[in-house]
Amino acid sequence: MQKLLETFLIGLSTGSIYALMSLALVLVWRSTRVVNFAQAGQAMLSTYIGFEIASRSEVFWLGLLFAIAAGALLGAGVDFFFMRVLFKHAVSGPAAVVAPVIATLGLLGLIRSIVGLTWGGEFKSIKSPASTDGFTIGETTIPFSALNLLIIVTVFVILIALAIIFQRTNLGLSLRASAYAPEIAQLAGIRTARTRTIGWAIAGGVGGVAGMLVTSFNFLSPYSLDLLLVFGFIAAVIGGLESMVGSVVGALILGIALTFILNYVGTSLVFIGGFVVLIVVLLVKPDGIMARGKVRRG
Amino acid sequence: MIRKTRAKGTWLVATVLAVGSLFATALPAHAETGVSSSEIKLGITLPLTGAASPGYNKIGNAMNAYFKYVNDNGGVYGRKITLIQKNDEYSPQLSIAKTNELILKDKVFALVGPLGTANYTSVHKSVGLAKRGVPSLFLNTGFSGFANKKSYPSSFMILPSYAMEAKIIAKFLKENHAGKKLGIVYQNDEFGIDGMGAFKAAGTKFDVTVAYTSGTQSAATAQTWVSQLAAGGAQVVVFFGVTSATAPLLAVAAAAKYAPQWILGSVGADPLTLRALGVPLAVLNGAQTPAGNPSPNDTSDEYVKQFQEINAKYNTGTAFDDYVLQGMNIGLMTVQGLRAAGSNPTRKKLISAMETKGSTFASVAYSPLGYSKTSNVGHTGYYMAVMDANGDRKPFGGKVTLYTTDSGSGPVVVSTFKRPAMPAKGLPSNS
Amino acid sequence: MGKKITFFIILGWVLLLIGDRVDELRVYQGAQIAMYTIALASIVLLTGYSGQVSLGNGAMMAVGGYAAALTLNNLGSPVWFAFVMAVVVSALFGAFLGAAAARLSGPYLAGTTLALAVGLPEIANQFAFLGGVPGILFDVGLPPARFGEEFTQYKWFFWIATFIALIALFITSNILQSRYGRTWRAIRSNSLAAELSGVHSGRMKILAFTISSALAGLAGAVLAMTISLVAPGAYTLALSFALVTGAVLAGVSSLPGVVFGALILVAIPEVADVLANRWGGGENLNNYLPGLIVSVLLILSVIFTPNGPGENLRKHHHKKM
Repeated sequence: MQKLLETFLIGLSTGSIYALMSLALVLVWRSTRVVNFAQAGQAMLSTYIGFEIASRSEVFWLGLLFAIAAGALLGAGVDFFFMRVLFKHAVSGPAAVVAPVIATLGLLGLIRSIVGLTWGGEFKSIKSPASTDGFTIGETTIPFSALNLLIIVTVFVILIALAIIFQRTNLGLSLRASAYAPEIAQLAGIRTARTRTIGWAIAGGVGGVAGMLVTSFNFLSPYSLDLLLVFGFIAAVIGGLESMVGSVVGALILGIALTFILNYVGTSLVFIGGFVVLIVVLLVKPDGIMARGKVRRG
Repeated sequence: MIRKTRAKGTWLVATVLAVGSLFATALPAHAETGVSSSEIKLGITLPLTGAASPGYNKIGNAMNAYFKYVNDNGGVYGRKITLIQKNDEYSPQLSIAKTNELILKDKVFALVGPLGTANYTSVHKSVGLAKRGVPSLFLNTGFSGFANKKSYPSSFMILPSYAMEAKIIAKFLKENHAGKKLGIVYQNDEFGIDGMGAFKAAGTKFDVTVAYTSGTQSAATAQTWVSQLAAGGAQVVVFFGVTSATAPLLAVAAAAKYAPQWILGSVGADPLTLRALGVPLAVLNGAQTPAGNPSPNDTSDEYVKQFQEINAKYNTGTAFDDYVLQGMNIGLMTVQGLRAAGSNPTRKKLISAMETKGSTFASVAYSPLGYSKTSNVGHTGYYMAVMDANGDRKPFGGKVTLYTTDSGSGPVVVSTFKRPAMPAKGLPSNS
Repeated sequence: MGKKITFFIILGWVLLLIGDRVDELRVYQGAQIAMYTIALASIVLLTGYSGQVSLGNGAMMAVGGYAAALTLNNLGSPVWFAFVMAVVVSALFGAFLGAAAARLSGPYLAGTTLALAVGLPEIANQFAFLGGVPGILFDVGLPPARFGEEFTQYKWFFWIATFIALIALFITSNILQSRYGRTWRAIRSNSLAAELSGVHSGRMKILAFTISSALAGLAGAVLAMTISLVAPGAYTLALSFALVTGAVLAGVSSLPGVVFGALILVAIPEVADVLANRWGGGENLNNYLPGLIVSVLLILSVIFTPNGPGENLRKHHHKKM
């Protein structure tokens, strides 16, 4: 019984970090119809910047703030300088299917190389903002720590903030309109290109938070966020790439499922477990869990 | 149709040109590969980056620092030693690719200190080191299988084997921790299985056994190890794995308020690296470990003192720890080996020199060396040590009690062996 | 048909002759190029022709590699049979994967294959008979004695790999030029129209997956031969990415381009190594420069020649005419 509770809580904590990444991917997908693999690279670079600030100032939250700012700038930059050029050129032929995927992969590799050349491959660590000791309830200590709780709370706060932006502000309305029907949005006077860039900036900032949170308990290296990307992507697909709520739900499900496999089955089957979860969901609902009848294809 | 053939034709021409240019290198023959009148080229594969790299990535630079010192003082019979380091990220596939480069492209004379059990077994088979007659000196792994002279005719170990280590730990457990519940965490490849086999043969019964796959070590997986150990009530826990796995194990155990008596296998026990990876000093205090060398902080030891001086001058910026000590020692042994091969060294002469004279070489470790025409074994023993509140290592029981044994069924005995003195100024003059 | 056979035979002879004249390192790289050629062909068929984006061909290579090694070691079969089993087993896997993924498209398919690429090789760690992290040995044996002392092991690999690659390319070329190839391209450009013309697009997609996986599995077995080893670490996610990269660089729907792509994949680390040493070396440069070069090349080629250099040559021709 206790193990069950532990597994569920840790899965929640892990899943909430995946939720940030999958949210960022869905944000970009909905506005640009591109799966941005470079998201991991942007998050990585933002986290390194956050790491520099955090280790100098000894304040994690300051580092987090800088990571968000860096992530937002980077996201906007990638959309403005990279994506626009890409869409101008690579639009036809058999490669149109695969070109954006490859392009963002290439960008990921580029950012990773730059980070590696600048900071080196040595493992770095950031001092955690909360205790990593497990909570002690009576006699037993469960492996759920203050840090885990902090992660869940932070993600929750960000999700609420995003929900408010999207549902209650004009910016949010523009973002949703531009993603759903760009031509009509333009006719209504919305500057779709600029709005899209803002969407990328938000996604970038969110990715930066994800990277910092992961690094609060894991070592930082040019490869340390790769798994986050893979699981974030799987989570987004599980939830259905069209829905932001879906991506969060998908991420939590994935996080909990993976932790169950880790604790009850075996450590080497975690990744293939991710694949199984994904294929099972897609067999039943090929457009993801939250997909409803009307879904924009293509 | 015509267009297609034209495009295809362009492809063919481009490809043939490209292939031709890539293949058009002809190479001059060498007297002996890797040896010129002014230089001896050596190669090493080790994890410079990646999950297993913390600590071990210092060894290559330490070796290089020692070689530079020797080069500045005349080299080996006038030849400068050049060490080429290749990063294999502890992955056997990369080790194979990089060793191919070292042998086929860089054309090194010999390999020194290649690191990793699975790495070396793969490399030896895949690259065909035995058939090529490439000497591999001082393998940085303790896998007992490498001692087999028939299978590994041109390879020489330096570390005591994991079987030896396990037997010594087993004896220590019997003498000092009898009656307690035992647990073990080990890496489930040839490295850890080597040790487990010896524990079994020595009759050690573990109440909790945890195996981890190399590469999966992390805070999350360490959580599952600690859960199993705590649930099984293990009071003494032996750890047979790499340093980057020791760290999360100790850290997670501390966070879960689980504090058994730790016995850390020599491979993953360097206190400085563990602290850099976040293990608090309080956790390390009292941990026991088999050790082969004096503590890297023991400046009363002539080897340590000399190596520290060389490190300060030639490897500035790197703190002197177990790995730097190990690297410099490998350098010291290598130079003695090269000298023993004579003023016109060949690969065959180097191998023969190691077999006939290797056992007399000066080394910082306390135990005797076992090289001979029938044995690849390097050092043959350990003493038990304890870490203190400063993260330093002190002999268990106050003074060094050296145990030696073999990788088979031979007994573990206390040894009175006295190691050779350090050559003057750390510069070998043997022949 | 006759012309094509002649072409391949002549190509084979030329490669053999070249193999005799170069040193061992180049011969070894030749074997690697042959291996990548087969692997890239699998991508051209799957993505270039049938339009399905897979990020998991590395996993299929793993299936082929393990099948070959297990066959060779446990059944004591001759070497050629091990390669045949690699093809058969990975084709079966591919059929299953294709069936499961038939309803998926675009990013959903990409995500699924990505998960497979990450997860499948790790299975070897769980089951002892698959060898765990150190893997299983795959020893195709020494070259025949009659070739003499000078005939090195790596040259033997080169001969076997080249032979297999030529056969695989010949067969694949025929398949792509047949009505299957045309049907796939029809499905790729407009699935609905193809269906209306009577094409069973689901079945054709599964067929594409099957054949593509068979090719990838064969490449995986050849890879295992060159390093005498099958282990999870040889079939990483990075391999899957490298394959897609190579295919795009060379023209994702161009079969002749795969040789060029394979060449690039093998040449880049080499070139980067030389450059890194020229620019002062140091581990950072050595570790990250190849990645930098590949990424920049990739981005440039995706932006300016997304369908491979061949396309630009053809466009140029058009203008001339």
